[in-house]
Amino acid sequence: MRRGRHPAWEFVIEWAIRMAGFLAIVFVLLIFAFLLRDSLPIFRLRSLGQLVVGRIWSPTAEPPQFGFLPLLLGSFYVTLGALVIAVPLGLACAIFIAEVAPARIREILKPTVELLSAVPSVVFGFIGLLLIGPWLATRLHLPIGQFAALGSLLLAFMAIPTIVSVSEDALRAVPRVLRDNSLALGATQWQTICRVTVPAARSGIIAGVLLGFGRAIGETMTVLMVTGNAAVIPRGLLGFLRPVRTMTATIAAEMGETAYHTPHYFALFAIGLLLFLITFLVTVAADLVMRRSAWARR
Amino acid sequence: MAGRRLIVVCLSASLTAWLIVGLAGCSRPKAGAPGAVGGASKAGATIRQTGSTTLLPLAEKWRQAFDAQHPEVNIAVSGGGSGTGIKALIAGTAEIADSSREIKPEETQQAQAAGVKPLEHLVAYDGIAVIVHPSNPLKEISFQTLSDIFTGKIRKWDAAGAKGLGEMQLVSRDSASGTYEAFKDMVVTLDGKDKSRDYAASSLKQSSNQAVLNLVAQTKSAIGYVGLGYLNSSVKVLAVVPLQGGAAVQPTAEKVLNHTYPISRKLYCYTNGEPSGALKDYLDWIKGPEGQDLVKKLGFVPLP
Repeated sequence: MRRGRHPAWEFVIEWAIRMAGFLAIVFVLLIFAFLLRDSLPIFRLRSLGQLVVGRIWSPTAEPPQFGFLPLLLGSFYVTLGALVIAVPLGLACAIFIAEVAPARIREILKPTVELLSAVPSVVFGFIGLLLIGPWLATRLHLPIGQFAALGSLLLAFMAIPTIVSVSEDALRAVPRVLRDNSLALGATQWQTICRVTVPAARSGIIAGVLLGFGRAIGETMTVLMVTGNAAVIPRGLLGFLRPVRTMTATIAAEMGETAYHTPHYFALFAIGLLLFLITFLVTVAADLVMRRSAWARR
Repeated sequence: MAGRRLIVVCLSASLTAWLIVGLAGCSRPKAGAPGAVGGASKAGATIRQTGSTTLLPLAEKWRQAFDAQHPEVNIAVSGGGSGTGIKALIAGTAEIADSSREIKPEETQQAQAAGVKPLEHLVAYDGIAVIVHPSNPLKEISFQTLSDIFTGKIRKWDAAGAKGLGEMQLVSRDSASGTYEAFKDMVVTLDGKDKSRDYAASSLKQSSNQAVLNLVAQTKSAIGYVGLGYLNSSVKVLAVVPLQGGAAVQPTAEKVLNHTYPISRKLYCYTNGEPSGALKDYLDWIKGPEGQDLVKKLGFVPLP
């Protein structure tokens, strides 16, 4: 067994690890820089207003229309719909795993939920496109089997493992003392969960929801296959049952044939930049929320 | 101790991986060199054929048949849309770009800038068929009505003569597709007469002919378009009345060749410059009797 120091060796290891850490930051900065570089030219051709609240996305028309609004709303409809399904289910599942389930069930349930996140998104898209979509369309008398809510449903399956995982950790991190005190004061287990444990784990749960949002809004393959890809502005609640087009699906579908350094190319990069910024902000928010909870507990 | 060893192992593993990737990248031959594939030897030649999904089933059959006769030539076939194929040809990642439309001027410019000379090979003729759900009572449709439907000017089936189907669901391809472009040039813009016309925003963009077929087959109020080669009994084909009037024409091989079917087009394979070696053999074979026999078998229209 080695005793004593080997300063040179230690120095190399430390340096290598530091480099690896910096590299992660460098990658993110580089991605941002490239997105910015290849999307800035579109801002010379169209104003920010024309882009972000433009109502028509038709890059192959003459003259080309680069309005992001249908795509932005499409993404938001699908993502928020996914959260509406995923948050109650995910939170309930997390509560069950963390607070209620006996050890044996917990041991089976936790890996099974994580298994859900191992399913490739294209498989979800496939099942949605060929099975769930047509079935739902006949049952709900919808005009066509590709619509926003179908994307929401499938995205919820993808967001649930994230929400469950992070929320469950947050619930577990609540000090036993709080639970014990509540029960000692005569509260039932459900009252304790509702009024003591979940509020105490609030920050972690919110962080989990934000991460689930980030996952859902960035999902490409599934929404490309099942949401119909019609760049219309969804209206009201009915908009969930009609085809939409998300930002991610637009980039995936159109990038292949867009000629290099044309306005269409720059516009697609601008969408990518917008997507990056949204996801970045959401992730930073999630991190801040989690940090605040840890600080508050100190 | 164990922690430090773990870190060392992980770092060395990732360093080794980077080294391998870097060396592999250095040893690859320069991409985009014309004739690099077809040129020197026939043995072990690789032909990457990509692009139009319209041509995809045909390309697959060509590959299989040619491979049976010439096993030393490796052919890899993929789809992705005509635009994607031409892009790959320009980037040097494909030897043959399948395309269901002609190369655009911007693409030719880009090719020239990259030192690539796209050479057009006509390999088959095709018609674009208008399809609806089998339960749709319509049998034929006029060119103008079809154009108005796909630009969103006519939205309800009642206005087109089919009662009780409600609002039309337009099933289209996405913009990477040559079929999308061809249908736009011929039908949507009324044969190029009104270039300001464009697909309706409410049209659902699908990624392949097969996807369009599947969606129309399962949706009662849908109308879509596919290449002739994809037609089957799961959908109903509408006869089209030409813009200048006359009787409705069914999309058949014969009507496509004599230009009486109004939505006909040519299918191309583009290569970088004049092909040679295995690539030349393959293309000659495609244009020859065996290749054209397969064209006919798959429902396209062979070269006369």
